[in-house]
Amino acid sequence: MSDHSRPHHPTDRPWRVWASIAVVVILSLGIVLGVLIIPVVQGRGAGLDAYTAICRSLGLLPGSPAQPQPASAAPATPVSQVVWSPEVLQVLARADTSKGRATVQEVCFACHGENGVAVSPDYPNLNGQSGAAMYKQLSDYRTGSRQNEQMSGIAQGIDETTLADLAAYYAGQSKRSPALIGGPEAVVRLVVLGDPKRNIPPCRACHRAGAGGPIETPILNEQARDYFVQQLQAFASGQRRNDVYGRMRLIAAQLTSAEIEGLARYYAAGQD
Amino acid sequence: MRNADRLCLAHLWVAFAAFVVAAALGTWQMWVRSPLGAHVGTPSQYFISVTAHGVSMAYVLSTFFIMGFGYFVAITSLARPLPSLIWAWIGFFIGVTGVAMAIIPIFAGSASVLFTFYPPLTASPFFYVGLVLVVAASWIWCVLMIVAMARWKRENPGKAVPLAMFATVANAVMWIWTTAGVAVELLFQVIPASLGLTQTIDVGLSRTLFSWTLHAIVYFWLIPAYIAFYTMAPRAAGGRLYSDTMGRLTFVLFLIYSLPVGMHHLMMDPEHGNGTKFIQMLLTVFVAVPTLLTIFTITASFEIAGRLRGGRGVFGWIAALPWDRPMVLATGLAFVMLGFGGFGGIVNNGYGMNAMVHNTSWVTAHFHLIFGGSVVIMYFAIAYEIWPALTGRGHPSMAPLRLQLWLWFCGMMIMTLPWHWLGLQGQWRRVANFNYDDPTISGWGPWVIVSFAGGLILLASALLLIRNLLVLHRSSIRFAPRPLYTLPVHPVGRVPAALNGFGIWNVLVLVLMVAAYGFPIGQYLVAPSPGAMVHRVMDTSR
Repeated sequence: MSDHSRPHHPTDRPWRVWASIAVVVILSLGIVLGVLIIPVVQGRGAGLDAYTAICRSLGLLPGSPAQPQPASAAPATPVSQVVWSPEVLQVLARADTSKGRATVQEVCFACHGENGVAVSPDYPNLNGQSGAAMYKQLSDYRTGSRQNEQMSGIAQGIDETTLADLAAYYAGQSKRSPALIGGPEAVVRLVVLGDPKRNIPPCRACHRAGAGGPIETPILNEQARDYFVQQLQAFASGQRRNDVYGRMRLIAAQLTSAEIEGLARYYAAGQD
Repeated sequence: MRNADRLCLAHLWVAFAAFVVAAALGTWQMWVRSPLGAHVGTPSQYFISVTAHGVSMAYVLSTFFIMGFGYFVAITSLARPLPSLIWAWIGFFIGVTGVAMAIIPIFAGSASVLFTFYPPLTASPFFYVGLVLVVAASWIWCVLMIVAMARWKRENPGKAVPLAMFATVANAVMWIWTTAGVAVELLFQVIPASLGLTQTIDVGLSRTLFSWTLHAIVYFWLIPAYIAFYTMAPRAAGGRLYSDTMGRLTFVLFLIYSLPVGMHHLMMDPEHGNGTKFIQMLLTVFVAVPTLLTIFTITASFEIAGRLRGGRGVFGWIAALPWDRPMVLATGLAFVMLGFGGFGGIVNNGYGMNAMVHNTSWVTAHFHLIFGGSVVIMYFAIAYEIWPALTGRGHPSMAPLRLQLWLWFCGMMIMTLPWHWLGLQGQWRRVANFNYDDPTISGWGPWVIVSFAGGLILLASALLLIRNLLVLHRSSIRFAPRPLYTLPVHPVGRVPAALNGFGIWNVLVLVLMVAAYGFPIGQYLVAPSPGAMVHRVMDTSR
């Protein structure tokens, strides 16, 4: 943008030079203070050598120069072994529904039906369920994070890829109705607004397509009523404990049995 | 009306239409967060509203206002036509298309990601593509501004570019630098994720890229207000600008120190070392310099005006100023809000204090006071100043204009001072409602009601603005053309090239950006961190 056609003004050069010097000095001050002096001085107080403190200040090593890293010897006890790594997502994305169908016809159909509609309200409907949700539960049965007389044994006999295949097959069966018809006010309130007084978030904050909640969140509408009640009761009593961060155990323990019944009826009717 | 006037008015009307809708949404949000509206709306509706409010205020109001005002400045200060009216109109329609593309998915519930996006939340691709079109439109504006100044300089060798145009081009140059960060984030990370091409997103990188944009974008919004301070307010007060050089220096400092400082938005983020945060924190401190220069220069200019009008004594000149003129009044009110907001900003910039106010209402209060307060009140004053020139009609009465400015000032103070207070008590932002029955936060309720009252006053002011502009459009009073821009006390002769162009400053910005962001961004390319799973926001059953 400089104008080359006219002679330079005598102040042009000093301005350029001094502006550059000012900027470089300020920048150098920041680098010397932020990356050298402060970390080294703070690191000394935290028992760190200068090299480690400088690497930490740059982010090459984890931790802050001013803080010793807390050490914990407590072993981690995850409630589920499922990790949503890109590799697992790839397994889900590459699932083969025709292989899944074969497994379903061989194993699952007896209880969950060939198209995912369960033969008894004690068993969950799987048609149109989220593939990630089914994968998570089957994996948890496989690793023992969730236990059930029939399912634990069945899941342990199936490999990871096959789990993904049959989850994808059921996910592709007839979709559930997303229509919101209504219901008793207290129940609709729990679904839509939750109950902040009891620290209960709205059900639909997670159990709704696209809610932005955890990927393994199952779709609840058109779910079998008795199965729904049993699971909330199992969460409330702590008998089922494969929910990450204990989210569902916390929520279910706050619900009255009438509310559990009401929610089961609400969702079984295919609402929300 | 000339085509160029229609161009300016079209931009300004789009800006203010978005503004009034966003003001209504903002007031609604304050209602549902207060104890009075505890059972109103659902969280999903709240986040739809917050997203629409943020997008309208931060992208539509600001961008369209700046473009419209920039075209006006280019035509009037350079006294030559725009380099291309056709391209300006093309830019306008691209921008309007973008706004429509972004707004529809927001209200359909498939873009509740707020205007700052927050990956790995991922909205409908239409939302992002719409915003990219708005940015593309603004790039056309940038090019037109730069070309307009370059052609004027070629025709006027050795002369100083008028300050208003110099500042506008400083803003255009800064905006091109600024948008690089968000453009890379959207085009290479967020849009591929929203299209389903990628399943994970490196959130550390996307936050870093957004921080590149996030602070300078605020200065993009702010510079028109400063243009009014320097080039319109002293004349409106009946005086002259104390120093034209100070003005040039201010805009240059905004250009270089608004960009390498965005990491102060990431002080509490774990993905960067404290050393790099310190460097950017130190550079952030220097952003105070142009603001302090401005307060000094404009106060000095006003003192000249006040004394010319017969003001005596240490403070007598203040009372002698023509506060009944909207531009003067708005400047005074803007300075008060800038004072409070600037003080809050210094708190935000301190690492330790930032930790206390991080993610609280304090931050929301800060940016509402600075942008919604100081800057937007100057947008109003600019609109009142230039609308007569654009329409050829005069304001029938100044009283409703003053009332509107006072309402905006009072509403903004009443809304944001309690937010600051609540932020210090830990009230979190970005939540849809509070449980005021909880004894630990029940004391917040009355303060939130006060803020809601401030919101209602702001809404009244927003509606009055629209009313005032519509009245002007139907006014029978003919506008008598008069000089718009302030003359400096000392006539501007030859100025150094560094204060008449941006060559050297672009080089220095590059040096600063490489120093400030080279390593923080480079680390992701050398050792990519594990991606976060994309969460697609799609409300299918609201």
